[in-house]
Amino acid sequence: MPVELVQIAPVKAQDVLRLVHEPGTKAVLVNVWATWCGPCREEFPNIVKLARNYQARGLRVVLVSSDDERELPGVKQFLAKQGVAFPSYIKAEKDQEFINGIDSRWSGALPATFIYDGSGKLRHFWEGAASYGEFKRKVLEILNG
Amino acid sequence: MKMKQFIASGVAAWFVVLSVSANAASLKLGELAPMAGVKMKNVDGKEASIADVAGKNGTLVVFTCNHCPFAKAWEGRLAEIGNAYKEKGVGVIAINANDPSAFPEDSFDVMQQRAKEKGYQFPYAVDGTSDIARAFGATRTPEAFLFNKDGKLVYHGAIDDDQDATKVTKNFLRDALDALIDGKTIPVSETKFIGCSIKYRPKA
Repeated sequence: MPVELVQIAPVKAQDVLRLVHEPGTKAVLVNVWATWCGPCREEFPNIVKLARNYQARGLRVVLVSSDDERELPGVKQFLAKQGVAFPSYIKAEKDQEFINGIDSRWSGALPATFIYDGSGKLRHFWEGAASYGEFKRKVLEILNG
Repeated sequence: MKMKQFIASGVAAWFVVLSVSANAASLKLGELAPMAGVKMKNVDGKEASIADVAGKNGTLVVFTCNHCPFAKAWEGRLAEIGNAYKEKGVGVIAINANDPSAFPEDSFDVMQQRAKEKGYQFPYAVDGTSDIARAFGATRTPEAFLFNKDGKLVYHGAIDDDQDATKVTKNFLRDALDALIDGKTIPVSETKFIGCSIKYRPKA
């Protein structure tokens, strides 16, 4: 995908939570990643595939890069290479505020994944990478629930 | 009808259980530095332990490494703080717990170069089993633990609040160090931050 097609906007924790509570979805998966984070890069294709396969069934994927804004060109390149054709985001807030604003149980470790149901209730949260199977199982549990 | 909905949502709530899987707990405020007597290989070729460097006003332990863009971003600030507060009676030690087989840049040779380049006037030592980092519950780099003169943890977290040194608004670690030296209450004793995960060596 050409890098010009990458859509990326700055967000604070409250913006992420607003996206989570937007009506019209059955499940929202928020993944916080960074270009310098190895496990984030490894699991990334799983999330892109998940978005592709389950968007039609009501899954929304919110990808938030926690890279420094000076790294934006690299972030865009990575998103283009991964074929992320939907809008994604970059953190524009201090770490402490962002971490606690999303969920105080999050230590700040990356990657971090949060899955919410259609009402905006947090149903799954974990730190570290996951396989496509794990992502799929947790998302389907909500989509089928 | 309203009552029914209320009951229905109440029942539904019973079945909604949040699954959480986060990192193991780290050292808590007031706790002593674990494995403080364990000798580590220092960049000067000698050995150093946390207990060896303990200062009359307290001790600062920072887990860092060579490869991580975050650790790199703070190296200059770590050198400034470490060198300055060592002069003020705070013992300082930087520890690299990363497995160099995961990141070759985290090797001892590169540590020696880096300590020299950045002018560390304090030990930069190898946690050769990663067990010290495990015992601290240190998970990221750079991650600071500050102990008072009685050896109790009084600050844990980030050095300051921005990777970009020009945008720092809160100097968490310096503020904690100043308060510690002045015998005042630490203003912010725990901070969270995003950083590179420490790549532990496999358990022996």
